[in-house]
Amino acid sequence: MSRVFISSASALPVSEYWTKSLADLMTDVASKAIDAANGVKIDKIIVGNMMSGYANHQEHLGALLASSLGMRGVEAMKVEAACGSGGAAVHEGYLSVKSGEYENVLVVGVEKMKDMDTPKTTKALAMAESSDFTQAVGASFISLNALLMRLYMNSYNVEEELMDYFPVIAHKNAVTSPHAQYRKAVTVEDVKRSQVIADPIRLLSSAPSGDGAAAVVLSAKEGPVEILSSEIATNDLIVAQREEPLRFLATEFAFKRAMQKSGINVQDIDFMEVHDAFPVVASLALEAMGISKRGKAPQDAADGRFNMGSELPILTFGGLKARGHPVGATGAYQIAEAFMQLAGTAGQNQVKGAKLGLTHNVGGVDTTAVIHVLRRVE
Amino acid sequence: MNLNAAILGYGAYVPIYRIRTEEIARVWHGGGAGPNRMKAIASYDEDILTMSYESASQALSMANYPKIQAILVGSESKPYAVKPTGSILSDILGYNSTLGVDLEFACKAGTEAMQLISGMVSAGTIDYGLAIGADTAQGRPADELEFTAGSGAGAIVLGRPNGREVAKIKHSVSYVTDTPDFWRRPHDQYPMHLGRFTGEPAYFTHTTTSVKMLFSETGMKPSDFKYAIFHQPNPRFPVEVGKRLGFTDEQLRPALLNDDIGNTYSANTIIALAKVLDMADTGDMIMLASFGSGAGSDAFVIEVNSRDDDDGYVPFSERLRNYREVDYATYARWRGKILK
Amino acid sequence: MNVIPIAYWRNRKVYTRMIGTKCKDCGAEFFPPVRVCKKCGSRNLEEKEMPKNGSLLAYTKLSEPAQEFKEYAPIYLGLIRLDNGVNVISMIADADEEKLKAGARVQATVRKWTEDGKGGLVYYGYKFRVLQ
Ligand SMILES: [Zn+2]
Repeated sequence: MSRVFISSASALPVSEYWTKSLADLMTDVASKAIDAANGVKIDKIIVGNMMSGYANHQEHLGALLASSLGMRGVEAMKVEAACGSGGAAVHEGYLSVKSGEYENVLVVGVEKMKDMDTPKTTKALAMAESSDFTQAVGASFISLNALLMRLYMNSYNVEEELMDYFPVIAHKNAVTSPHAQYRKAVTVEDVKRSQVIADPIRLLSSAPSGDGAAAVVLSAKEGPVEILSSEIATNDLIVAQREEPLRFLATEFAFKRAMQKSGINVQDIDFMEVHDAFPVVASLALEAMGISKRGKAPQDAADGRFNMGSELPILTFGGLKARGHPVGATGAYQIAEAFMQLAGTAGQNQVKGAKLGLTHNVGGVDTTAVIHVLRRVE
Repeated sequence: MNLNAAILGYGAYVPIYRIRTEEIARVWHGGGAGPNRMKAIASYDEDILTMSYESASQALSMANYPKIQAILVGSESKPYAVKPTGSILSDILGYNSTLGVDLEFACKAGTEAMQLISGMVSAGTIDYGLAIGADTAQGRPADELEFTAGSGAGAIVLGRPNGREVAKIKHSVSYVTDTPDFWRRPHDQYPMHLGRFTGEPAYFTHTTTSVKMLFSETGMKPSDFKYAIFHQPNPRFPVEVGKRLGFTDEQLRPALLNDDIGNTYSANTIIALAKVLDMADTGDMIMLASFGSGAGSDAFVIEVNSRDDDDGYVPFSERLRNYREVDYATYARWRGKILK
Repeated sequence: MNVIPIAYWRNRKVYTRMIGTKCKDCGAEFFPPVRVCKKCGSRNLEEKEMPKNGSLLAYTKLSEPAQEFKEYAPIYLGLIRLDNGVNVISMIADADEEKLKAGARVQATVRKWTEDGKGGLVYYGYKFRVLQ
C-alpha cells in the first residue's frame, strides 16, 4: 500500500460570493491547487459537500466539477457526511491513494449557503439529524447544541463566561488569517453581550454560515506533508438517544484509532484544528481526545493552554468560528490549514516548528467524527 | 325523550391564557370593558383538536378508559372544513373501532353530541361513547362578539348506569326553529349576527321553550333541582333566563363561568356541567339547557350519583385560578388576526 | 411543503401517542422507536407506549427556528428524562421561563406542531408542559 502525501492545498476566503456559483467556487479553488501541484494529472476527483441539493438544487457535484475543469473521462463523485463532508472526502481520497489504484487525487470541499435565507439554512443544517424524529419536533441543529451546552454547564458547574474563551481564541487567530471570514478580535465581553440565538448560545458563540471552498491534491508521490492516519467513526444519530450525551463517542473512537495507526504520542502533536462549531462542541471534543479533563476544557481555554505560542495551539487560522463554517467545505479547510502549518507557509499564523498536526471534523453533533494526523516531511 | 344513560367520566379544559375585555376595549374604544371581565384564548399551538384531546383525556381517565365506540365532536371552529376531527382524535386516543363524527350547531353542538350518544347507549347500539364540545370561537376584531368569544373544550364519557356512574342522564328534549340570529358562510373567517335579535327571539325563546318542554315531559319543576345550568353567552343571560323560568340564584350561581372565560361556544354548557359535577353530591338533580344560534336548545335532566376521585384530581375551579394574561397584540398574533 | 405529509402519517403514533419500542430480549426501551436494540443488538423488539411524565434536564429558547416553525418563534425546546429513563427532546407548551428549571416535573400533551400554510395539513404531536 502507498503512503499518502499532500502535494498542494488552497482555500478561498470564506465569504458571501454573490456573483459566483457553486461550480465557480469549486473550479477556482481546484485550479489553484492543481497549479500549485505543478499541474499534475488528476486520476480521481472527490467533492465533499453537505447541502447542494437543498441549497442550490444541484447534485452530481463530481461530474459538475470534472466537467467544469475540462477533465473529460476522470473518475469523480460526491461524498456527504453533514458538516463532516469535507473531512470525509479527504478520507476517501486518502484511501484511494493508499490503495495504490490512484496516483493523484483531487479533493474539494465546497458549500454555497448564502443563496438561502436563514430559516432555510436552519432547515438545511437540521438535516444532519433525523428528519422524522428531530426536525419534526422543531429541534434545529443549533438548539441541539444549546441543550448540550446547558447540560454541560449544569453537569460540570461551568459558567457561561468560561465557554466564551473558544470564540475569543478563534477570532484572535483570524485577524491575520488570509482566508478567514471575520478577521476581527473579540473579547469575552463582546461574546457575552451578543444576541442570544438559542439560549445559551449567542451570535458570537456560534460558527457563522458562509460560502467557501478548499482543495488539496493527494498523491502517492512524496510531497511536503504526509497523512499518517485518517479515521472516521460514528455515534447515535439522535442525540437524545445517547446514554451519555456529554461523551463524544465518535470522536473518542476515531481519535483512538488515529493514534494507534499513526503510532505517535498525543504529547507530540504541535497544533489541532478542532471542530469548534460551538464552544460546547470544542470542549467535548478536546475532552474526548483526552486533551482536557472532563468539564475542564473551558477552563483550559481560559488559562491560555490553546493560544498561539502555548503548548497546544488550536484554531490556528480562526477555526469554524472566525475562519467561517461553509459546512461541507470545513473539513477540507482544516486539511488545507494543517498543510500550510506543516509546509511552513502559514505566514503570520505559523506555529513555530510545527511537525505534527491533527484535524478534527464533525458531522452532526459528533454523529460522524473525522480525524486526520498529518506530519511534516523533513 | 327518556334516557338510560350515565356519565362515567367528564373533563373540562380551558387554555391557560386570558385577555381582559378592558384590553380589547382599550384598543377599539379607548376605554371601557365588555360584559365579562376576561375571556380564555387558545395559544398559537392550540385548536379544537388539541383542546378536545385535553378534555377527553381527563374524562377517559375518570371513566377508566372504557372501550369507546363513538366519538362525536361538536364545534364551529374545526381545523378542517373537510376532514373529520373525530377521526384524528380517535387515532390520538387510540380508539380506532369507533364512529368518528363532527357536529355543528353554533353553541349547542356539544350538547347534541351528548344527547346523541346518550340515545345510542340507551338504545344499546353502543356500550360507551365520548361526547365533546370544543371551540376556539372568533369574533371579528372590534365587533361586540370579540369581548366574549373564548376558547375551551368539555368532554363526557357516556355509558349505561352501572352503580358506579358519576351521574345518570334521565331525560332530554330539543327545540329548534329557523331563526337567523347568528351565522357564518363557508370560507368566511368571522360570523355575522343581528345584534339584539340574538336575545329575545333567539336565546330566550328557544331556551325557555326547551326547558318548559322538559318540565312538561317529566312533570318536574325548578324546585326539584339543586343546580340549573344555562348556556352563558355573557354573564347576564343565564341568570335572567333562569329567573324567568323560576330558578333561584342559589341554583344558578354555581355554574357561572362567563365572567372568567367568556363564551366557549360548543364547550360552554359541558364545561359548566363539569364545574357543577365537581361540587355536586349524591342524589342532586341538575337541569342543563344549552342554546345554539340558528337556533335551538337542548335540555337535560341529570341525577348525580358519586365520584371516586384519584389522588391527583384537581377540581376545574381550582385549575381556572391558574392563568396568564396576554395583551391584545399577542392575542391578535396567536389567533391569526394579523395580516402578512 | 415543509413537512412530508406521508412521512407524518407513517409516524403519527410516535408523534401523538409516543409509541416507542422495547427490546424483548434485554428489556431496554427506546424513543423514538428503533429497529435494532442499542443495548444488546437484538432485532426482537415490540411497540411500547412511553410514560407521559418526566423531568426537565435542560431547555433552550430558539428565536430562529427552521422554516416550518418560523411562525411560532420563539419556540422552547426541552431535553426531558421520562420516568422510564428514556430521554426525549420536545417542544415545550405554555413555556414560562421562570418555571423551566432543571428537575422541573413535566407532562406530555398533544399540541399543534406546525401547519403547511393556509391550505395544507395541520400536524399534531407531543409537547411537554411544566406541571404546576
Ligand atoms: Zn436489547
